[in-house]
Amino acid sequence: MSKRFSLPKKLGAWLLGYFRRVPMTLLSILVGLACGGLVWAVLDQVQPKALRDIFAEELQTRLEQQARETLIRFENYVGAHTSTTRLLANHRSLSTYLDPIYWFDLDVNEPLVHFAPPPWLPATSLWRTLVEPGKILLIDRKGRTREVYNLDLRLLPQELLVVDGRFLSESRVQAFLTTLSGRPYLLISEVAEDGTGTNMGYLMMAVPLDSEFLLASQQSVSSSGVLVGIIDADEQRFLSSSDPKAVPAGTKMEQAGKDFVVTAQSFFQYEGSVLNMQFATLVPRSSLEATRQRVEVVERRQRLVAATTFIAVFTLVFYLLSERLNRILRRISLFSRRALGRRQPILEKGNQIYVLEDWIKQFIGNVLTAREEMRREHETKMKQSEAIQQAILAAALDPIITIDRKGKIIEFNSTAEKVFGYQRDDVIGLLFVSLIISAEDNPQFSRMLERFDTDATREELEVRGEMVALRGDNSRFPVEVAIKLIQLPLKEVFTVYIRDISSRKRAEEMITSLAKFPTESPSPILRVNRPGVIIYANPASAPLLSYWECEQGQKLPLYWRNRVVNVYDSGYDWESEVVVGKSIYSLLITPVAGLNYVNIYGHDITAVRRAESEAREYQQELIHVSRLSTMGEMATGLAHELNQPLSAIANYASGCVRRLPAGTKGADELIYALGQINSQADRAGEIIRRLRRLVGKQLPVRSVADINSLVKEVCSFVEFEARRTSVVIEQELSMERLQVRVDVVQIEQVLLNLIRNALEALLEVPEKSRSLVVRSGYQGSGNVRVDVVDTGPGIKSDVAKNLFEPFFTTKESGMGMGLVISQTIAKDHDGRIEADPIAGVGSRFSLILPAYDHLEENRL
Amino acid sequence: MSNQPNVFVVDDDQAMRNSLKWLIESVGMKVETYSTADEFIRNYYPGRAGCLLLDVRMPGMSGLELQEHFLKHQINIPIIIITGHGDVPMAVRAMKSGAVDFIEKPFNDEMLLESIRNALNKDIEQRATQAERAEIATRLANLTPREHEVMEMVTAGKSNKDIAQSLGVSAKTVEAHRSRVMEKMQADSLADLVKMAVTANIESNSDDS
Repeated sequence: MSKRFSLPKKLGAWLLGYFRRVPMTLLSILVGLACGGLVWAVLDQVQPKALRDIFAEELQTRLEQQARETLIRFENYVGAHTSTTRLLANHRSLSTYLDPIYWFDLDVNEPLVHFAPPPWLPATSLWRTLVEPGKILLIDRKGRTREVYNLDLRLLPQELLVVDGRFLSESRVQAFLTTLSGRPYLLISEVAEDGTGTNMGYLMMAVPLDSEFLLASQQSVSSSGVLVGIIDADEQRFLSSSDPKAVPAGTKMEQAGKDFVVTAQSFFQYEGSVLNMQFATLVPRSSLEATRQRVEVVERRQRLVAATTFIAVFTLVFYLLSERLNRILRRISLFSRRALGRRQPILEKGNQIYVLEDWIKQFIGNVLTAREEMRREHETKMKQSEAIQQAILAAALDPIITIDRKGKIIEFNSTAEKVFGYQRDDVIGLLFVSLIISAEDNPQFSRMLERFDTDATREELEVRGEMVALRGDNSRFPVEVAIKLIQLPLKEVFTVYIRDISSRKRAEEMITSLAKFPTESPSPILRVNRPGVIIYANPASAPLLSYWECEQGQKLPLYWRNRVVNVYDSGYDWESEVVVGKSIYSLLITPVAGLNYVNIYGHDITAVRRAESEAREYQQELIHVSRLSTMGEMATGLAHELNQPLSAIANYASGCVRRLPAGTKGADELIYALGQINSQADRAGEIIRRLRRLVGKQLPVRSVADINSLVKEVCSFVEFEARRTSVVIEQELSMERLQVRVDVVQIEQVLLNLIRNALEALLEVPEKSRSLVVRSGYQGSGNVRVDVVDTGPGIKSDVAKNLFEPFFTTKESGMGMGLVISQTIAKDHDGRIEADPIAGVGSRFSLILPAYDHLEENRL
Repeated sequence: MSNQPNVFVVDDDQAMRNSLKWLIESVGMKVETYSTADEFIRNYYPGRAGCLLLDVRMPGMSGLELQEHFLKHQINIPIIIITGHGDVPMAVRAMKSGAVDFIEKPFNDEMLLESIRNALNKDIEQRATQAERAEIATRLANLTPREHEVMEMVTAGKSNKDIAQSLGVSAKTVEAHRSRVMEKMQADSLADLVKMAVTANIESNSDDS
């Protein structure tokens, strides 16, 4: 049996092996070709047949249509002959001809044959256009043919010498179909009468139904090769056809059927026919066959294209698939080489699916092998780690002692030997507590052990405690003890880790002593966490705490809590001052990076602030004194200023007094004068008010003002002095408001100082070249600037450096404090005064002040 | 002299100007006011009767400068200087330059008006003197050179004899000249003639200066 099957088996294996070596791409091309070929073959079988059927049907349809058409034409043609026969029979020339003639019945001469048109017919042109008669006969009443007009020049058939009475119509013209001498004829007869109306016989038209006649009957037939013919129905053969070459007379129907499709119709109109004749229509098969073949060729080409496309797409898809598989395989191969460290012995070439299958098999094998190896390795490692553990235990820096449930020592590492001064073998089996732990800490250790009885998570539990341990020589030292439960398969043991913490204790003491450091600080130091709770406050912060009305551990007031949060979140320091009772504290809040709190450092700055405020008072005093001295210098001018309105008032009043007694003038005039007096009194009052404002001692008050209006005010103030100097002060002031936040009186004092200095400087130059311009505007975006520009002698370089020194003056009168005080005032306003000699002549003094920013105001 | 005398007020302070106008008009005088010296010069022509009330300190041309201008152009309008602060050097300078008065603010109205009246009187006087001087000049022009010589000598106080001797003519001729001079000069007496000569001399002196 086995031998019987071995051959096919071998063959199968060989095929499979061969098959496996074929790459999928090639395989796909082969399969694609096979499938495409098959599809093409099937289609080739099925489609032409269907096509032929369709064409056959088409042919049939066409035949029927053609048959009807040809028959109608044929009959129309016959109709034309019938009409012509009637015309000829009834024509005058026939009756005229017959008048003198009389045919004796017994006279049996051969009929008279005419080859030229006989006299009994009208002119040929009258009737020859439509018909094609073979012969025209004159027949007497007995049926004997008397005269013949032989048009086709053929012999008269015997049957027409004496015409059978059946073919002669009695009353009306009649057509008959018959065969004469074996050829089909159309016979049409009409009664012929002479001039007197005597029946002489008949006029007959005999037309051979030959090919000419048939062709003529189908004159307008298309050249599609359709033929007509006359068939003898009994004998199933053609008597005549329109194309005698293709279908000669006598052709059998079957023969004609080879090249043509034939249909036969009976002549139902010609009852008189003695023969069973039928009208045949022939449609040539060749015309349709050519078309069919053309279509078939096109069709076949299309099939070929379809099959090719199919093969191409199929092959491409398989090719892509196999490429993809190839890539996957390559990657897998790479992976197996890297991950498993094994070279996957895969087939590099061949059918990818088989390759994949092989690979998976190998992979599974590899995985199994690898797992086995890992297990073995793990076991080795376990063994090694146990050895290492032992070594670690021995080499541990801290004493490690293992005890059993009852507290007896079962393991004692070498460090423990060194630390406690015992030999391992001596202590095994001894009670741990009494040997190592000092007597007073025994209960604590017992409690620690007991926790393992109650705790549910005892295996993860690690119990720690600090206690005093005893060495072999009874010396004591602080230790931290950690106990861990070890669950062995048969019993539970405890590992006790002991750490000498003497050095840590020392460090802790150090920290504690350091922590006392802030306590000793004379300045307040506090620590506040983010929510604002005071974590720590040193004793010196007591005044602050009472100011905040809180204690350590409580929250700060809301305002300060917010500050703390701000500082903490921003990460920047924040400084502030608070007045606590009579003391002033400067507070610095500093965030402590990384920790959740801020430090507040306080500093008593009462003395500093007091000194500052005293200095400020002195400064104010000095400014005031300076102002008074300025006023003193300006007294003359002011007196004159006041003189003007006063004199005017006196004049008006005197004028009124003088007018009143006269009584002639109207009251209107007096009212005008009194009004003037009023306004001049106001003017005087305004001057005095201005004076008082400048001289009067006022508290420094800052208010927002337009520096332009200050300049105008000061200019009006020095107007008299300017006039005395023959100078008109030109004001080139900025069109926009220049807002500054200043002490108006002090800034006016500065401006007054600068302008008066300029006026004095101008006295030193000729009147013509005196000019004083006061200009204002922004300097940059943040500052406001007022320039006082004169054309005086300018500032000498040696003077320039001493310009702002106290008691420095180039004037004969004056203390030399004007510019110093002006500069002081300017700096007090965060501004400054600058002095520049102008190229050419003169000098420029500028007051620069920070522009008032209402947004900034809001922020503060 | 047909025109009524004007009081011209030049002051840069409008209130002062208006109030002075009001005061001076109350006694029936005509007042014209100007805010600067220049404006006044533009509107004034010599021969306008009146006096000038001048603020000494003004922007532009000052009061003292205006006085100098008048001196230079032989304008003799009487000037009263008004000042807000009587500094002596300035008053002296003003008076030297020919101001008729110097008034300090604030002033008494009576004093001011009195001063104005005086100034106007002086103006009238000056005008009269000027007219007289013009008349004398005309008469002098009618004298022959010899007569002129004789008149000069007579008014110098020389006797007829001395004159005759120095001219080399007889005393009788001198006497004839003398009577012709008296007649031509329309002098009633020798004293009259001397007065005329003095007046004319002033004029000639001023011409020389």
